[in-house]
Amino acid sequence: MSLERPRLPHEIRHWFGDMECDYVYTLGIAGEKFYAGLKEGRIIGSKCPSCGAIWVPPSLYCPECFEETSEWVEVPDEGTVYTFTVAYVGPDGEPLEEPEVYALIVLDGANGGLLHKLGEVRPEEAYIGMRVKAVWAPEGERKGAITDIKYFRPVE
Amino acid sequence: MASVKRRVAVIGAGITLFRRRMRETGRELSFYAAKMALETAGITIRDVDAVVCGSAPDAFDGVHMKGEYLLDGMGGHNKPYVRVYVGGGTGVFTPIAAWWHVASGHFDIVLAIAEEKMSSCHPHPQKAFTTIFDPIYTRPLGPNLVWIFALEMQRYMSVHGVKKEQIALISVKNKRNALDHPCAQLPAKITVQDVLNSEVMVWPVQKLDISPPSDGAAAVVLAAEHVAKRLTDDPVWIEGVGWCLDSTYWTNRDLYYPKYVEYAARMAYKMAGIKNPPKEIDVAEPYDPFDYKEAHHAEGLMLARKGEYLKGIKDEDDIFARYGRDGDLPICPSGGLLGVGNPIAAAGLMKVCEIFWQLRGEAGKRQVKNDPRTGVAQAWGDLMQVGTVIVMRA
Repeated sequence: MSLERPRLPHEIRHWFGDMECDYVYTLGIAGEKFYAGLKEGRIIGSKCPSCGAIWVPPSLYCPECFEETSEWVEVPDEGTVYTFTVAYVGPDGEPLEEPEVYALIVLDGANGGLLHKLGEVRPEEAYIGMRVKAVWAPEGERKGAITDIKYFRPVE
Repeated sequence: MASVKRRVAVIGAGITLFRRRMRETGRELSFYAAKMALETAGITIRDVDAVVCGSAPDAFDGVHMKGEYLLDGMGGHNKPYVRVYVGGGTGVFTPIAAWWHVASGHFDIVLAIAEEKMSSCHPHPQKAFTTIFDPIYTRPLGPNLVWIFALEMQRYMSVHGVKKEQIALISVKNKRNALDHPCAQLPAKITVQDVLNSEVMVWPVQKLDISPPSDGAAAVVLAAEHVAKRLTDDPVWIEGVGWCLDSTYWTNRDLYYPKYVEYAARMAYKMAGIKNPPKEIDVAEPYDPFDYKEAHHAEGLMLARKGEYLKGIKDEDDIFARYGRDGDLPICPSGGLLGVGNPIAAAGLMKVCEIFWQLRGEAGKRQVKNDPRTGVAQAWGDLMQVGTVIVMRA
C-alpha cells in the first residue's frame, strides 16, 4: 500500500524533456596516483607534511592544514567497518534479488577510507568494528577503477 | 543605502592557468588559486574566518552540489562556507558576497574563490547551456547559448549603426593584451581580417568573436580595515559594490542596452562617491565573453555613452589609443575573457584580481601607464539579465 497519492504525468498537460549531459571526469593529480595504485593492487594515500595525517583517498592537499601533501604512501588493504547498511532495493527502487551490504571502511593507519561493498558475509553477520580485507579483481581485469576492488571480506 | 559598518580591503590574489582542459580536478585548481592568494596576503588558512565559493552551473563540472564538492579545495573545511551563484555574474559576485561577510562586522578575514571545470561536460560545455532555457517555450526549439548573443549583438549593431569591423577590434585588442598574461589560454596577435574570416557560428557571431571555454580558478583574500592595515602597506579598498537582475524573459525587453548593468554600476558608484565614471575611473575590466559585450558593458558601466564606445574607432591604432594600456582609459588590460580564457566564475574573479594587481602596481608587463587609483570590474550572466560590479581604490 502506498501512502503517497501520486498524480500520473498524463493527468496534467505536460511537455517531455530531458537534461542529459555526458561527462569526462578528470582524475586529477591525486586521483591519477590512486587509480594507478588500484591497477597494481595497492591502495595509495597522501601524507600531510604538517600534521602527518594520511588521507585516503589521497588528496593533493591536507583539508585540515591546507598544506600541499608531499608524499604518496601505500596503506594496507585491510581495515575496520566503521558503519554499514543492507540494501534491499536498487537505485531505481527495484527489489534486489539478493540484499547487498555496503560499508564505510577505515583503512589501517589512514585518515578516512572507502565506501565499498562487503562480500562473503551474510547481512546478519555484519557488524561495526568488523575486520575486513580487500578482495581484488584478477590483475588482468583491473582497469584503474574503484571496482578493481571487488569487495571487502571479513578476516579472522 | 544603509550605512556600511566597516571598510574592507583586498590583501591578496591568486590564479591558476586557464586552459581548455586541465589535468587537475576542480578541487585541486581551487587549492592552487586559494594557496597563492593566502601566500600573497601573508596568512594561512588558520587566519581565515570564512570562505565564499563561486561557481557557475553544476552541469559544467557534472557534480550536483558543486559547492560542497569543492569545499575542502577551497579551504572551507570546518569553516562558515557558502556558495553563491548568479550565472556568469558569479565571479564578481563572489568577492561582493565576501565583502558583506566582512563589512557586516561578522568576520575579519574572508577568502573568496571562484572555480570552473568546463571540460568535464563532454564533448562540449555548450550542451549544459542548452538546459538553461525555459523548458516549455524555448528549449523545444533547440537553442544554444550563442544564439542569444547573436540576437543581442545584431540588435546592438543595428540600433547604433556599429560595424562588425569595429567590434572585431575588441577581440584584436584583448587577445593581444593577453600575450602578457602568464595564465592566458588564447593570447594571439590577430587582425580584424582574421576575425572576419573565422568560422561563422551564429550570424553575426564568428569563432574569433567568442572567448573559449576553460578550466581554471581564481581567489582573493578580503580583510577588515584594522586587520588589512596590520598585514599590508598596500591594501586595495573595495569602495563600491552593486548587482542587479532583470527578468529571465529576455524576449520582453530591448537588448541593445544592459540597463541592469547600469543599475548595478549606479549602486556601486554611489557607494564609492563616483559621479563622473569616465573621468574618475582609471582602469576597467568589463565582462567580455564576446567582443561586442565589452562595448555593451562599458556603456552599461557609463564609461561611454550609449552606442558610442566604438564611435570614431576605425582601426587598431584607434582602439589602442583609446582603450589600450597607455590609452585614454585602459579597458581589459588583462586580456579579458577573449584572451585569458573563460572558466565562467573564475573569469569574473580574474578581472577582480587584475584590478587588484593594477592598483598595487604589480601587473608587470600588463601595468597600465596612468598610475591608476580607481578601478572597476564587472561580470554579467544568467539569461542575459545580471550585472555585478565592484569598484576598488588603492
